[in-house]
Formats: sequence, C-alpha cells, structure tokens
Amino acid sequence: MTGALSAREGTAADAVAGVVPRVVHTPSTRTECAEIFRATSAQGVAIAPMGGATERDLGAPPRRLDAVVSSLGLNRILEYAPPDQVVQVEAGVTLAALQDALAKEGQRLAIDPPDAARTTIGGLLATNAFGPLRTRYGSLRDVLIGISIVRADGSVARGGGKVVKNVAGFDLPKLMVGALGTLGMIEAATFRLHPVPETQTTMRARGLTAAQVRAIVAEMRERRLEPAAVVALGEGGAWDLFVRFEGFAAGVRQQRDRFAEAAGEVPCAADELSADDARLHRVRHDASRTSGSTCFKISALPAAFAWLAAEVLPPLEGVLEGASGVFYPTLGLGFLTGDAGDAGDAAITATIARARAALAPSRGSLVVQRCPLAMHATLDVWGPPPPAFPLMKRLKERFDPGGRLNPGRFVGGL
Amino acid sequence: MNPRELTSEISAIVGAKNCIVEASELGTYECDGLTSFRVAPQMVVLPKSEDEVAAVMRLAGEHGIPVVPRGAGTGLSGGALPAPGCILLGTSRMKRILDVDLENATMRVEPGVINLDVSRAVTAAGFYYAPDPSSQSVCTIGGNVAENSGGAHCLKYGFTANHVLGLRIVLATGDVVELGGPSLDLPGYDLTGVVVGSEGTLGVVTEVTLRLLRTPEATRTFFATFPSTDEAGDAVSAIIASGIVPAAIEMMDRLAIVAAKAATGLDWPDVGAALLMDVDGPIAEVEHTSESAVALVRKAGALAVRRPADDAERALMWKGRKSAFAAVGRISPSYIVQDGVIPRSEIAKVLREIAALAAKAGLRVANVFHAGDGNLHPLVLYDARAPGEEERAEALGGEILKLCVRYGGSITGEHGVGKDKAQYMGEMFSESDLDAMGKLRCAFDEGNLMNPGKVFPTPRLCGDRPGVYHPHPTELAGVAGRG
Repeated sequence: MTGALSAREGTAADAVAGVVPRVVHTPSTRTECAEIFRATSAQGVAIAPMGGATERDLGAPPRRLDAVVSSLGLNRILEYAPPDQVVQVEAGVTLAALQDALAKEGQRLAIDPPDAARTTIGGLLATNAFGPLRTRYGSLRDVLIGISIVRADGSVARGGGKVVKNVAGFDLPKLMVGALGTLGMIEAATFRLHPVPETQTTMRARGLTAAQVRAIVAEMRERRLEPAAVVALGEGGAWDLFVRFEGFAAGVRQQRDRFAEAAGEVPCAADELSADDARLHRVRHDASRTSGSTCFKISALPAAFAWLAAEVLPPLEGVLEGASGVFYPTLGLGFLTGDAGDAGDAAITATIARARAALAPSRGSLVVQRCPLAMHATLDVWGPPPPAFPLMKRLKERFDPGGRLNPGRFVGGL
Repeated sequence: MNPRELTSEISAIVGAKNCIVEASELGTYECDGLTSFRVAPQMVVLPKSEDEVAAVMRLAGEHGIPVVPRGAGTGLSGGALPAPGCILLGTSRMKRILDVDLENATMRVEPGVINLDVSRAVTAAGFYYAPDPSSQSVCTIGGNVAENSGGAHCLKYGFTANHVLGLRIVLATGDVVELGGPSLDLPGYDLTGVVVGSEGTLGVVTEVTLRLLRTPEATRTFFATFPSTDEAGDAVSAIIASGIVPAAIEMMDRLAIVAAKAATGLDWPDVGAALLMDVDGPIAEVEHTSESAVALVRKAGALAVRRPADDAERALMWKGRKSAFAAVGRISPSYIVQDGVIPRSEIAKVLREIAALAAKAGLRVANVFHAGDGNLHPLVLYDARAPGEEERAEALGGEILKLCVRYGGSITGEHGVGKDKAQYMGEMFSESDLDAMGKLRCAFDEGNLMNPGKVFPTPRLCGDRPGVYHPHPTELAGVAGRG
C-alpha cells in the first residue's frame, strides 16, 4: 500500500449528510489525491470530496459512501502574480488564508461567504458559495478562470487557464461551480482578483417594509449608484437595509450622500455606520446565515421582493422557530434560517412545496441548504429537477460512469 | 435520403425560399469572417422559429447530416465554416426581441438579434448591453453566445458569459432544452455557462435571456502617445496596480496607428504606441480615477495626453480604434488576425518577441489590442500574390500563438478556436483535458453532428452511452429484480 492510500477510519464526525464513510483519506499532494481515485476506481469505491466541511450536510444523503477524500492537505498557493491580479491555489487553502496572502499585495478575491476561516477554495466552488459582494462583483463563475479536477478514474483534467480572458475549449470551470463534487474533485483553481478598495462605508436604513427596500434599490439605480453590497436583514417582516460603497474616497463620499437622498425619496431615514458597527453588521449577517438547524436558500426575480416577503416568506417563517432572513435584493437571492419547529416534517414539506410552486414560473427556486437529518426522509432538499435534467444526467454518466462521486447527493439524485 | 428528398422535406418545414440549394447562392455562405477557409454547404436553411429549428434538427439527426449554425458570419476563427455535406443553419430570420423587463434588467431575444440593437432598444430608458465586440453593429447575439464574445469593455464588465442568464437550445436530436432563466442559481449544473462559448458544437441556441446594465453616470476618455510599446505597457501595468479598474484600455503600435489614420483621417501623431482608455462610473469616482490614470501615464513616459472635447470627438477616437482591423487593409493587401492572450504584465516583453519573430519571417506585424486584459491582436501583414508569403504569414501566426502559451496565456481571448486554431489546442491542453471536454460534448451530441471539425484537433468518438442500464430479460418478465 502506498502512502497515498493510507487512511484513517471514518467516524460520526466525518459523516456526509448523516452517512458515515468507512475511511477518510487526507492526501498531502495532488499526485496522491489522483492516486487515491485511480487505485479505488476498479472497486467502484464511492467517494465524497470534502474541504472545510462547512456544508457537509448540503444535499441528499449519498446513496453509498465508502471514503471521504479531504482536500485539507492540499493547502498551497501555487502561483500568485500580483501585477496580473491572478492567483492559482490548491483546493484545500482556506478562504481566510488566501485573503491574508492577497491582502499583503492590496488585492482580494471578491467572494465573501460566512466562515472564511474554515471554508476551503474547493468547497467554496463545489457549493457555489457567496456573500454580500456578489452584488457588485458577481459569483464564483464570474471570477473563476481556470480549474483542475481529478476525475472519477483518477485522471486529471484542466479547463480554462491563467489569464483573465480566454475562450479556448469548453468552460469546465463553470461546469464545476456548484456541482457538489459529483463530476470530479477540484484539486486546484485559478481566479481573477480585484484591488482592495481605498476606502469603504456602509449606510443603513432601519425598520423598512419590503416595498421600501425595493423602492430604495430602485432609487439607487435611478441615481446610477454602484453599491458593492446591498443586504436586507429581516425578522418578522421588518427589514434593515445595509448598503456598502467602495472605491476611492471622493467617489465613496459622493455615493454616500446620494444614497441618503435616495432614502429620503422613499422616505426613510439613513445613517452611516461607524467602523465598529460595520463589523457588527457583518457578524450579524454571518450569524443569520449560519445559525439554526435549517436554512432555505431562495431565488426569485429581484423586482419581486415585496411579493416574496408578503406571499412566500411568511409561511416559511411559520415553520421555523427564530426565523431570520438575509436577502440580497439586487440579486433576488436570500437565505431564511431558523430551527425546524413543531410543525412536523409533513407540514414543513408541504409549505416548501407551495413556496416552490410559487417561485417556479420565473425559474426561481428554494433549496434546503441545511435541515435536521431526519427530514431527508420526506423532503427533496433540491426540489423538482430543472428542465435540463435529462441532459445533466447524461453529463453525469459521461463524467462518472460508475456513479462513485457523491452518488445521489445532488439534484434529482445525481 | 437523397438530396432532392431532403430539400423537399426541409422546404416543407421552413418554406422553399428559406431552403437554399442553388450553387450560385450558396457561395455567400461558404466562409465566415475568416475567408481563408471555404467549404460549400449542402444547403442553407433559414428557419423562423424554434419549432422550425427543432424540426430541421430532428430530420438532420435522423439522417446523420451534420449541422453548422451561423449568425451574421462575422466570426474570425472559422466557427461558421460549413462542414462538408452539412446543413448550414442560419439564424438571421429569428430576430425578435421577445421581452424587455427593465425592473429586473433583463431582455429575452431570439439569436438573430444584432448585438447593438439590444442596447438601442433600451438606451432611452438608460440601460445597455455590455459586451461590445468591434463587429457589434452587425454581429448577432446567437453568434456572441457561441463565441463568448468580448470587446474592449469586457475588462471591467466581463464577456458574454457574464451577461447571459438563460438559454433555450435545440440539440442534434431535435430536443428543445431550457437552461438557466431570469432568476439566479437554478439548482443543477451550470449548463448555461457551458453552452456559452461552445462554438455551436453543443446545440443551436434559439433564445437568450440577457442581463442589462444601467448606463454609467459618466465616462472619461483619454488618448495617450508613447515613444514605444515599452512605455505604453508600463503605463498599463501602473494603472492596474494603482487599483483602478478601467472600463477599457486599448493599445495600438506604430503600424496600427498609421493604418487607423489612413482609414479615418484622424490627426493622430506618428508615434511608437498609443493607449485609448475609458473609465466610467459615478461621476466623482470617475473624475478621480481619470486624473490619477493620466498622472500615471505621464509618469510612465507619455509624450502627450489628449482628452476629447466632446462626445463627437470621443466617438471618433473609438472609431479609429474599432476600425483598426479593417484599416490595416489600407497598408497591406492581406492580413491574418491573431487573438492570443498573455499575462498583462508581460505585454512589452512579448511585443518585442513578436517583432523579432516578424523580422525573422520578413513580415510586418501590426498590433492593436485589449491591453488591460492582455488580449493581443497581432495582425500579420502579407501579400497573397507573392509566392510563399501566405504560408510564411500562417507559420508566423502559429509561432505567435505558441509564444502566448509559453508565457502562460491562451491561444484565443475572444475570437474562438473554430477551425482556425483547432490544431493549436494541444499547445494549451493535455490529452486528458481534451478528453474531459469530449465527454461533455458527448453528453450533448453523441453523433458528433453539431458543427463537426471545430474546436478539437481530432474528432472524438462517443462510443456507447455509459451508465445506461439494460435490464435482463428475466427482470423485464418480473422473474428477477435488482435487489
């Protein structure tokens, strides 16, 4: 047995959506990682790739699971070219470690989900994680320029490249974003970076109705403001809106003042957060996203926010205890978290089904990102498969003919 | 099926006048913007609707006839070059804007809509569509989706892929598939992201949901001249390093400036290099960044910095840049356009190496390109009438691409691989990389009927579909199960 295959026994702490693996491999090089896949290919060993395990319960319980392959040993920054604003990293590097290295050069990866200290680059990509900065900079698909994956048979395939502009070959990088390790294990990725802004400020408007939130967003657009982040935090139908402006001092000052004008039109009062309060806001944002046993990710048309808040959210809040919402109103995306209450799994499942039906006409969706494991028995966390599902199934069969990569965990049992 | 039967069946679908088989009329379609490759298709079909596309594809699929999609035919990599015996499927009649949703800043269009017409439809309301290939007044959205087209302003705003939210496509089987949609993050694989830039090898796009942007409050433009591309390259690096994200920075070298002057009558000076730069955004931000950028440009050794007096002069400056490819026709009977990408910090070095390669080949190379993202457009000038010169020009073009890959770059930044650069894919990608891409392709098009011969250096056979379970007869009879 080679060193690459050395593994420890899996324990309950290693479970993936409640399923405990027989073994856990932690390769320390990419070569070893590929070797694990190659050596276990013939036996069809079922593998779940794993990073910082912040989303270990995302998705349905795998149909079978023999081994977890951890990326935590793959923790090198492979190439960083500050003048080109490009970085290539191994999958196990945590987001916080990467941002620290980039900050030394005045740069950053413009992706800011909660829990950066634990979240790894591979996990980030596999789950399509994002935070408030998506408002301005887009999601991982917009900043990922290259990828390297280990395929089910242990071969290594790369797509994209190391330059920000490149259309050679199929876009494997985008295919891997959000694919939850069902097409291959991400071993390294290359990103385009952004400069850390000279300055930033966060404006706040409190106690708004959803219609007022929408009105401020429309006023900002009318004034052609370019916020870096727009976040609405809400409990029980009242929303606090936080709008961050970034850039050079003169521009940030002007946008701040014009935001106050925009709020005045609604009308509502707005104030500027102190640096300490801006940090507290970030803590509250992250806590809202990560607390509670249950988390619904909701996607709708951005302009439908008032409708969403009036029609779709209240019944969902009704089945959660201590429900708390984090919405990104310019994107139409948000999260509702809380503890699954006493409503009963059947009632929760029915409520979710009604919300999905309401969202479906505009291709909106509700994904249960997190829930008590027992709920999986009655609940499809992904919801009805999308229209292109047959194509997705064929793709999965081509990439993973033996069905050994996270089998059954993804949309429609892929 | 014999050709006459095929013509009759296709005519029944799209109407006889939209099924072109006369040799004299097929000539128009035997190449795209890359005129050095020419193949006549078996027929050209111009459907009007998704239903018609699906019916044509189903028929072609049943009879194993390859299909090559074509938009406006402005592509520069031979992506719309007909395959021998193919049906060339033109989307020029599918040009309706289906829906404009300004509240959500989206627009749904058919593939034959012209790029610039998308922006024109929403200009009055203060919106625009960001990707701006130089051919934007004639090229179609369907073609842009196929090529993942860029343009000067994608440095700040991204490429077509960043502005497409959803698609409808028809597969080689005739099946219609909906991908993505107006809401974000539809669960499942990001097949929208995969189809954008797939160069018509996965299916025919019949509908596109685009993201619109609010027109920036202000734009500031300047034109700076330099003794050589060395100083101009340094200026680009300094601007980027300062944290400014320009909307566009374009560079032209001496030869390109001469050509642009000849074509537009602009009074640009005779200098070694020039930069044309836009910054846009909220007004105070833009005032600050344009002042800083001008200071950096002067520090890097600019000879002069000129700012347009008004919108008309600004438009003229950009016209000089955008017409540069065609303008090269004024100083050379023929030219090859390359589209390699390099890390932007290496611009000055790579341009010197290109000059050395050109001198060795005894040819001239003009450079006009997107400096901010390192996307070079070397124009290899030659005279096709001079014996051996075309071959030397093609060899030089290939050397330049290999040079880009050696510097860690790409063989194509926005024009696509097409027929033109398929032979260079192996410079960038290993056999294993290409195999993964081949697997993806097989999931969409098992029969290799969609735009065959493009992107990949060698055709890839899909073989049996894996993972498909064939039940044992006893199982079917209910005698045994799978447990």
